Amino acid sequence: MKTLLAIILLATTALAQQKTPPAPGAARPLNLPKITEKKLANGLTVVLAPLPNVPKVASILTFRSATTASDRNDHPGIAQIAAAVANEGTDTRSSKQIKEELRSIGGTLAVGSDTDSTTMSAASLSEFSPRLFELMSDVAQHPSFPETEVKLAQENTIQQIRAGRANPGFLVNERFQKAIFGNHPYSFVVPDEKSISALTRNDLRAFVTKYYIPNAAHLIVVGDIDVDKTFAEIEKAFSGWKSGTVPPDENPPVPKRDKRQIYFVNRPGSIQSAIYIGNVSIPRKDKDYFAIRTADTIYGGSFYSRLTRNIRESKGYTYSPFSQSDTRAKTGVVFAGAFVRNEVTGPTLLEILYELDRMRVLPVTDEELNAAKEFSTGNFSVELASQFGLAGRINTIYTYDLDKNFINDFRPKIEALTTADIQKAAAKYFDTYHAAIVIVGDWEKVKDQVTPFGEVTMYDADGNVISK
Amino acid sequence: MRRLLVTCLSALMLLANVSYAHAKPLNIPVVYYKLPNGLKVVISEDHIAPVVTVAVYYNVGFRLEPKGRTGFAHLFEHMMFQGSANVKKFEHAKYVEANGGSLNGHTDFDYTNYYETMPSNRVELGLWLESDRMRSLDISQENLKNQQNVVSEEVRVNVLNQPYQLFEWISLWENAFTNWNNAHNGYGELSEINAATIEDVRSFFKTYYAPNNAVLTVVGDVDANEVKKMVEKHFATVPSQPTPPRADLTEPPQTKEKRLSQTDKLANLPALATGYHLPPQNSPDFPAMALLVQILQGGESSRWYQRLIKEKELTLDLSGGLNYFGNEFDYTGPMIMTTRTTYKPGHTADEVVREMDAVIADITSKGVTEKELADAKVQYRSNFYSQLESGQGRAHLLSVLALFRDEPQQINSLLTPFENVTTAQVKAAAAKYLVATNRTVIDRVPEAKAQPKTGQ
Repeated sequence: MKTLLAIILLATTALAQQKTPPAPGAARPLNLPKITEKKLANGLTVVLAPLPNVPKVASILTFRSATTASDRNDHPGIAQIAAAVANEGTDTRSSKQIKEELRSIGGTLAVGSDTDSTTMSAASLSEFSPRLFELMSDVAQHPSFPETEVKLAQENTIQQIRAGRANPGFLVNERFQKAIFGNHPYSFVVPDEKSISALTRNDLRAFVTKYYIPNAAHLIVVGDIDVDKTFAEIEKAFSGWKSGTVPPDENPPVPKRDKRQIYFVNRPGSIQSAIYIGNVSIPRKDKDYFAIRTADTIYGGSFYSRLTRNIRESKGYTYSPFSQSDTRAKTGVVFAGAFVRNEVTGPTLLEILYELDRMRVLPVTDEELNAAKEFSTGNFSVELASQFGLAGRINTIYTYDLDKNFINDFRPKIEALTTADIQKAAAKYFDTYHAAIVIVGDWEKVKDQVTPFGEVTMYDADGNVISK
Repeated sequence: MRRLLVTCLSALMLLANVSYAHAKPLNIPVVYYKLPNGLKVVISEDHIAPVVTVAVYYNVGFRLEPKGRTGFAHLFEHMMFQGSANVKKFEHAKYVEANGGSLNGHTDFDYTNYYETMPSNRVELGLWLESDRMRSLDISQENLKNQQNVVSEEVRVNVLNQPYQLFEWISLWENAFTNWNNAHNGYGELSEINAATIEDVRSFFKTYYAPNNAVLTVVGDVDANEVKKMVEKHFATVPSQPTPPRADLTEPPQTKEKRLSQTDKLANLPALATGYHLPPQNSPDFPAMALLVQILQGGESSRWYQRLIKEKELTLDLSGGLNYFGNEFDYTGPMIMTTRTTYKPGHTADEVVREMDAVIADITSKGVTEKELADAKVQYRSNFYSQLESGQGRAHLLSVLALFRDEPQQINSLLTPFENVTTAQVKAAAAKYLVATNRTVIDRVPEAKAQPKTGQ
């Protein structure tokens, strides 16, 4: 009796539980942000987009000429150190004054440099935006590189890099960039200690004078703004900035890989192997951008991706496998990664390579492609709803000289992709036969699992080639 | 479009150059009610973009996991993606992503949450997915074994194979607290994660994952009345369970300073962590303490940052805050203010502690300046708005306010007690709580090994 009652109750509950997913409702309108482009007399491009979701403003100022390649022969790493010290003092403000002023406007301001540009990212309460622009302008035009600040940054950077060398994530990325880009400036991750120590205050001042110039820069402002009023504030803050001569591109041609190679960074005592596998891909402006991006989504760039389903949900080798298509001005890289316990190092290499090859050899299913399209366009809308998300997206348009309609064209371009487009892109760029395979781990524990996959060069944590 | 702050008020503030003027109260719409089965429901319309966040917060975090089962609350969180009556293993992720969304879950001291952000016309899909696993989680031995492996790798990648091994959380909490519920390692010991049985999973689910122990929050470009109907349809018949027992989280007051030293096999540089017990959130001292944390270690203008990194050139970085994982509102038990800093070789932990103490002594004797406090409030407000920017951030605050205070409407007045703090209160809070007998200090030094060579 009792059992029967239980069954009836269960059945009632089950009836109330809908068995299939509800259909979507009518799509709500997507009001793409209104983007206004203006130019100051000194050549600074200014791009404004109102997004009043909170009473704040987000801003990105990009110096397009200040890249890893800039001045690299005489002063390797100078773009990175200049960025680190630029907001530590101007002709009229000490480092402490800058930080205190930022606090008083609810602000943040950070400068960073990478292979394609130097960017200043800043934000504040929107009620204080004129003061934020004034600070940004001061840091862009008049960084003074005080002797004590330069010395402190040199010393601390050296120590921070030493600390980082204990971290497998740092080591695998550093070796991977070097493996992919060789001697090209794109291989840069951190400067060496000698180059850091050799930099002087005068080197840094000369660097910013030459490379932080308005006619090779753009300023993106997104937030709770009124376009005309905000533009007037920007004009006031930035119009005194003198233009310069745009330096020629200092990047050499990009390398191509001619064979598969394993780069093993030995970290005795490691209980996991940190693995990156990838190859050179395409520049940001290439026509295959959308196809590779979508192939990456299906392969390992989303949670319900092939790689995650395989080595996490089916085999339990790893927590957070991933893949990424990182496209830059001159070229890009597409790669997969996983951190796995020592015992499954070999099997993980096998599965990562298998899934890459499967993308090359067989077309993805219509279901997979449609899911990837929805994933990309849906998450694009979410990205555009955040101030820094939208500012960052606009910034890539101007940094990489993309079509100004990139945001509006995103959905139709994604939706036009076919399974053949995906396979073609994968066949060309998911090139396992000339791939760089980087592993950070305990060589003694995993060598027998690694050697079947190719020729091995071994490094220590400091980047020196060592014998096996 | 909704604005949180009236623009003309901002203009007035500018004219008057009053940087510390109080913000106008927020006006976030909040619909709040309970289903007969006890499920708390929060709906907040936000029409800035055609997206929606659906979140479910359960009133259980790792403080409540069973003894001998460290890491279990988090392992259980993983099991919530392993399928339910009508959703196969891992297909939760498939449904959300194939409908243009993203998803995640997180286990914290006092709650575990699950959320998906999607185009707003898919809101009912999110509700269906959450109701299906709340009602009928599918628990199998095979999936448990799979997720024990996955979680073990997560602990290896984030803790065991890392320098410092998150000592500023795991070790600090193990030593600062005496009550096991508060003190134990919430990420878990590998042996205990792998000892969990299917019975443990069933019992935890039945005890804590019931509608009367949860909040469902929907934030975004939706119609609240339509969402109400959908919530009724998918959640009303989920059966409630007996109210789960509340574990004792009380912590005896600390009376003596605790200091310890550890060696680290992987780190290249020494680091220091400190933890001070905080007053409870309903204490009149709490808002002053929160502003004091901001003044001491909130960013590069803060007193400890300036003293340790810039003036004395002793340390390289400074991190931490009032709640190691979250904010002032998203926990319920005892809490410590944590601070972590990597210091330079050739110096000692004593030197670092001495400089941190000198900053405290300066505040307890002279207090903070009016300008310093006013600016800290501006920064505090700015950080608060940033938390509200995304649907997820807004859903988070609404959910924890419903879960812990039964009043999500407080989101619109949360800043008030902090805006009202005086310099005298900050000074008094420093004198009362930032004393050696109230703290735990851990010095973590690299195990002796060959000096690192110069990089290439």
